Amino acid sequence: MKAVILAAGEGTRLQPFTMSRPKVMIPIGNRPILEYVIRALAANGITDIVLVVGYMKERIMSFFGNGSNFGVRITYAIQEKQLGTAHAALIVRDQIKDDFILVAGDNIIDAQAIADLLRHKGGLSMLVTDSEIPSKYGVVQTREGRVVDIIEKPDKGMGNIINTGIYHFPPEIFDYLEKGVMSGKAGITHVMHSCISKLHVEAVRSTGRWMDAVYPWDLIRLNEYAFNLAGQETSGTIESGVSLRGPVYIGAGTKIRAGSYIEGPAVIGEGCEIGPYAAIFPTTSIGNGVQVAPFTIIYNSMIMNNVSIGSHSHLSQAVIDDGCRIGTGFAAPSGPAQVRVEDEHFRVDKAGSMVGEFTVVGPKVVLSAGTVIGANSRIGDGAKVSGTLENRSIVI
Amino acid sequence: MCGIVGYSGHRHASDVLMEGLKRLEYRGYDSAGLAMVEKDHLTLVKRQGELDVLKHSLPRLEGHTGIGHTRWATCGRPSDRNAHPFLSCDGKLAIVHNGIIENYMALREGLEAKGHRFTSDTDTEVMVHLLEEHYEKDLRKALVLTIQDIQGTYAIAAVREGGKEIVAARKENPLVVGLGVKENFLASDVTALLSYTSKVLYIMDGETVSLTPSEVKIYDSEGTLVKREPSMITWSAEDAQKGGFEHFMLKEIFEEPNAIHNTLLGAQDMIENGEVLPNTDFQSIKIVACGSSYHAAMGGKYAMEEFAGVPTTLELASEYRYSPGARECPLVILVTQSGETADTLAAAREAKRRGCRTLAVTNVVGSTITREVDEVFYTRAGPEIGVAATKTFLTQALAMYLLAIRIGYAKGVLSYDSMRSALSSLRQSSNMVQSVLNHVHDIEMASRLIDPSEHCFFIGRNINYPTVLEGALKLKEISYIHAEGFAAGELKHGPLALLDSTTPVIAVAIKGDHTYEKMLANISEVAARDSPVLGVGIEGDTELARLCEKVIYIPKVHPLFSPIPVTVALQVLSYYVAKRRGCSIDKPKNLAKSVTVE
Repeated sequence: MKAVILAAGEGTRLQPFTMSRPKVMIPIGNRPILEYVIRALAANGITDIVLVVGYMKERIMSFFGNGSNFGVRITYAIQEKQLGTAHAALIVRDQIKDDFILVAGDNIIDAQAIADLLRHKGGLSMLVTDSEIPSKYGVVQTREGRVVDIIEKPDKGMGNIINTGIYHFPPEIFDYLEKGVMSGKAGITHVMHSCISKLHVEAVRSTGRWMDAVYPWDLIRLNEYAFNLAGQETSGTIESGVSLRGPVYIGAGTKIRAGSYIEGPAVIGEGCEIGPYAAIFPTTSIGNGVQVAPFTIIYNSMIMNNVSIGSHSHLSQAVIDDGCRIGTGFAAPSGPAQVRVEDEHFRVDKAGSMVGEFTVVGPKVVLSAGTVIGANSRIGDGAKVSGTLENRSIVI
Repeated sequence: MCGIVGYSGHRHASDVLMEGLKRLEYRGYDSAGLAMVEKDHLTLVKRQGELDVLKHSLPRLEGHTGIGHTRWATCGRPSDRNAHPFLSCDGKLAIVHNGIIENYMALREGLEAKGHRFTSDTDTEVMVHLLEEHYEKDLRKALVLTIQDIQGTYAIAAVREGGKEIVAARKENPLVVGLGVKENFLASDVTALLSYTSKVLYIMDGETVSLTPSEVKIYDSEGTLVKREPSMITWSAEDAQKGGFEHFMLKEIFEEPNAIHNTLLGAQDMIENGEVLPNTDFQSIKIVACGSSYHAAMGGKYAMEEFAGVPTTLELASEYRYSPGARECPLVILVTQSGETADTLAAAREAKRRGCRTLAVTNVVGSTITREVDEVFYTRAGPEIGVAATKTFLTQALAMYLLAIRIGYAKGVLSYDSMRSALSSLRQSSNMVQSVLNHVHDIEMASRLIDPSEHCFFIGRNINYPTVLEGALKLKEISYIHAEGFAAGELKHGPLALLDSTTPVIAVAIKGDHTYEKMLANISEVAARDSPVLGVGIEGDTELARLCEKVIYIPKVHPLFSPIPVTVALQVLSYYVAKRRGCSIDKPKNLAKSVTVE
């Protein structure tokens, strides 16, 4: 059976981390979200994959190529304009002749989720799961295993069973999607909602993992979870006097300098230099080419590629994007926070700071819990910053 | 350049050979052919033009042994009759050849006097007649006698009617044997073999090979059997596929951030512990290369002088090898992507003959040059298929910085602190490049300024002078626009006369560089001649924007390292100009990937 993965979207609510990559390429545990999806499919023997790509498609194509490094065969279909999931699915119409699996590329799933769907013998079926925040998703109402309605982002409580965006479709679905798109419906769920009485859609309850990041602070939660999936191995150079506890993965060419303490789960990419005397606590992922100077402590954070962090810094639940240069004595604690995303305010129980790519932070800067700094910003020496800053902000 | 494949085993040889030739396409060719050992005779099929032309004219072929060839014309124009393979007069021997036979005129006269009939204008054909003359019972021995008669360079493969044996020999042209189970392969390049095996034997100069389905025997020039351990290739055939991109060139440009990361891995150890150049007691450096590699070398000269304070000179490999050579003993650095470039190989030998220490910078593990020099620095760009060098050029430029930093640090010119900060800037460069790639659509828009013109100039100064030379080379290679790179200060000494409103000028002006103001003055001069100016500068540079019709921006970067993002921007620009002009981007006319003839 073929699988179609929708990976064309931008993920605007995750800005600044989707500034130069689509949502599916955000690294969780140092691997793009999409890689988890592809591995989940491959583990179930689905190796023929069509990727629908659009926003920053080159990032996806240059990472996955033809799929051979992941044990699958990938072909690409391009959605030039992001006109919704129904439109995206229609693009692959002439490549699909039989039943197929349709998956959203921007949720982390495990092999069990796909196995549940495959084990269910039936026609058109939808994988559903329960959610703590159903109002963000398509809420599904079922009767005797059949979907009787699906409402996208309902205002009022309608139960907590949501659509995961993973389907088993017969090829006839394209006719419905086409009609739906013609009548102005953008999403697959909108199309299904409109013709739910004509379609016999079965709901399959997932016993596997399904995780989504809607807002930047969700990334940390995904990162914690991703370590349940990661295989551990260690290379690189570890100097004497380093303590490694629990599962710690260290990439080639990385140096862990004397006196450093790393407690897993933690993953450190290739060509990094950590310490001497740096401390890293769970659950932390560090990308390639990162430098962490002495006496710096990092808790439960995501540090992406080629970041440098000065000495005597403290980071907790921080998300730091590619190429940031952070001076000495940086403090970014976590705590309860109110965060603004696209003119909406959210109260978050515990959030750290989130810093967009190529931002330069001077020495002795303090970021309050829940601070979001846009990409390419400059934060001057000793500044205290809170709230949400746009890209290219300058703080003196 | 020409490509050779050979197969003897249990499969249909024609399938294996066609697949192999397809993989060698990137080397450039104008005609192709096969010689197959069929049941009771040799079948020869050869055609001018694309491989598809050959494919369509193939009859049903059953043989399990054969040789194939893609030809890039050097002696005799491209045509069906000049295509390889060639048959002997009795039709029992066939041969393919890559290289040049220098004494073929004399040999041909002699052979014609003996009654041999020639069917082509090529130098190669003399060899098949020589082989026929020398053949008694042992095909390999006949080949040994044949190569004793000829002068020149070659990789040759030959088969005989009714036999399962392929014999081969090499001198200064690449040849590699692939090992399978009850089948064996032969090719100019490992890429042709990757679909079948990753176990290979590299053949050395002067050696001859006898290959059958069950065994491969290699003999040295004395006729002694050579024992050699197979090498494992870590690339896979899939690495050489386009994976969603329209062209290999674009795919390879997008692989640049990763290529930079891979080349930099372990850089610190290399510099601090002297894993390359453990000993730096030389007083001067000479860098020798051809083509794009020469431009990387030129950037290297600036880097060596800046970081290491060592006087550095540059030479084209094709000139250095014939130069008189003053009595000095520099470290000679040879830069060649493929490690097979004929002139650079010859230059390496010449440098050794002059008693110089030699270091090669190459991308191909196990290539010929790695066996000719004292030390090797590998760029880790991965295989590059597009004929125009992109990621391999960039990693060569990176290698130059790294070597310069190593030498500077070892000689005490660069302090520990400056060394660390230079390395840290290099690490950032992979993000810089990614950032340029995130804005390819802006560059695509800018390409409209260039694509309608027939002539175009690139100007830059200081460390970006080599960058503009490479930019111009890239543009002419793939878009066929006549492009020239100039040091901006040289404009007034001639080229200014050629400027008008139909001749766009691409100007690299990096704010922060000490030549920035001079560049702005040069751009004003150009603009005053009505030439449309496309600037390349640092983000937010409004001064530059005022002088130019359009500006391609790169992220803020230390001027010394600006050639890295600027090069990428210019590569992308050339790509889109060529695409808008409808050119064959991955296989530009008349060009070959690695130039294995002189």
